[in-house]
Amino acid sequence: MSADEQNSKIPLRVSNNTAYLWNVDDIAKLRSKHHICGILTGTLPHLSQQNAFLGIPLVLLPEEVVLLVENGIVVLIDDPTAHAQPNLVEIESWNNEQQALFRQQTVANEAKFAKQEQSRSLSEDAIQKRKEREERRRLAAQKLAQDVNNDNGLFSTESEPVTKEATLATPQSSIPTGTYTISIPASSEEYQWYSPHHATFSTIESAQKAGIWTYPSNLNERARCGVFRSLSEQGYFMGSGVKFGGDYLVYPGDPLRYHSHFVATVIDSPTQTLRPMEIIAHGRLGTATKKSHLLCTWDDEKKQVSYLSIEWASFG
Amino acid sequence: MNQHPSYTVLEPLMAKYPRASGSLFQAYNDIVYAQEWCDVEVVDLEKCARGAIKGRKKSSNVDMHIVPCTLSEKLSTQLLNDAFVSLGEPSEIYLATTSEDASIVYYKISTGIVKPPM
Repeated sequence: MSADEQNSKIPLRVSNNTAYLWNVDDIAKLRSKHHICGILTGTLPHLSQQNAFLGIPLVLLPEEVVLLVENGIVVLIDDPTAHAQPNLVEIESWNNEQQALFRQQTVANEAKFAKQEQSRSLSEDAIQKRKEREERRRLAAQKLAQDVNNDNGLFSTESEPVTKEATLATPQSSIPTGTYTISIPASSEEYQWYSPHHATFSTIESAQKAGIWTYPSNLNERARCGVFRSLSEQGYFMGSGVKFGGDYLVYPGDPLRYHSHFVATVIDSPTQTLRPMEIIAHGRLGTATKKSHLLCTWDDEKKQVSYLSIEWASFG
Repeated sequence: MNQHPSYTVLEPLMAKYPRASGSLFQAYNDIVYAQEWCDVEVVDLEKCARGAIKGRKKSSNVDMHIVPCTLSEKLSTQLLNDAFVSLGEPSEIYLATTSEDASIVYYKISTGIVKPPM
């Protein structure tokens, strides 16, 4: 396949058998054009339990990945391999860029501090208030020194330096000390040593042969791929069904606009054991949540899916 | 059981499919005496190794089909699809699950993707 053809396909970065998507435009395209939602897994570092604000990377279900690869929409990139060892020239160039960024930040910090100082000292009110504040501090420090002297004469000589430090330790503004932020880009594409071209796979088989992808590897996984593809081709959007006791939630359109009508369970083969209790449990849960339960049976020989919908009978 | 009025209707199928006779007996009696359906008949579902029940609710003239089973049985989607075929491809069947404490619960099963009622 030509490099041009490859370039028009969305790259999925594969690491440890999971496919990640870091590009926001590609995420939007997958959703709006190809009806694949995935799950955003980026969260806030200090509040990782929250799920109101989620960001990149997008993680795709293995069934979604298989469907997209087979339809020629995405390619799989073996990300660890794509990150080659940088040579000396590349490291020096990268280092120079980083140093320039740090210098830029420090200059900006100093300018900001100078501006703050200027605006602060210009205001007469501010000057007056600062004088009063410093006077109050001095008196408080004096009193503290006296108290300490009264409490414990042995340590009285140490008290003065302590209080002096106390007043000094309360800065009135952020004095620039040469600190800067190191930012790590989400995409590695800007690194000179990142070369995905030799680590790109456009078929599931080639990715499996290279050892970077395993799905589908057994009947259950093939069944899931088959059912997912069948539902997707009928125009449904799929989400995770764990909250409703099934494999997928099936939406008639974008999940942001619609409620799902169905909870789907994948049945590996038409002869797989199905207990009546499962039918009752699935049906009951569906009815309680205003959904139907879908039993989706995969026939591995005919490569077809057949559907059965379960609903409470409302009599008996 | 032989003295029970339902026995005459069910005897041939109960002899042919002894394992399914308990659930057939329980489901048939519920349909006839508790649900009070009309024109109730039994149907031989050879592919499913059991008998099925056909009838209609008092207030309707649409035929409904009941496939009985017990909680301890192992079914499969193959069996359910065979039931549809053997019953002449109705749009839905009702799986009647019986248990040893005489409870019975009916669930509607339809072929294809059928939206839930509003």
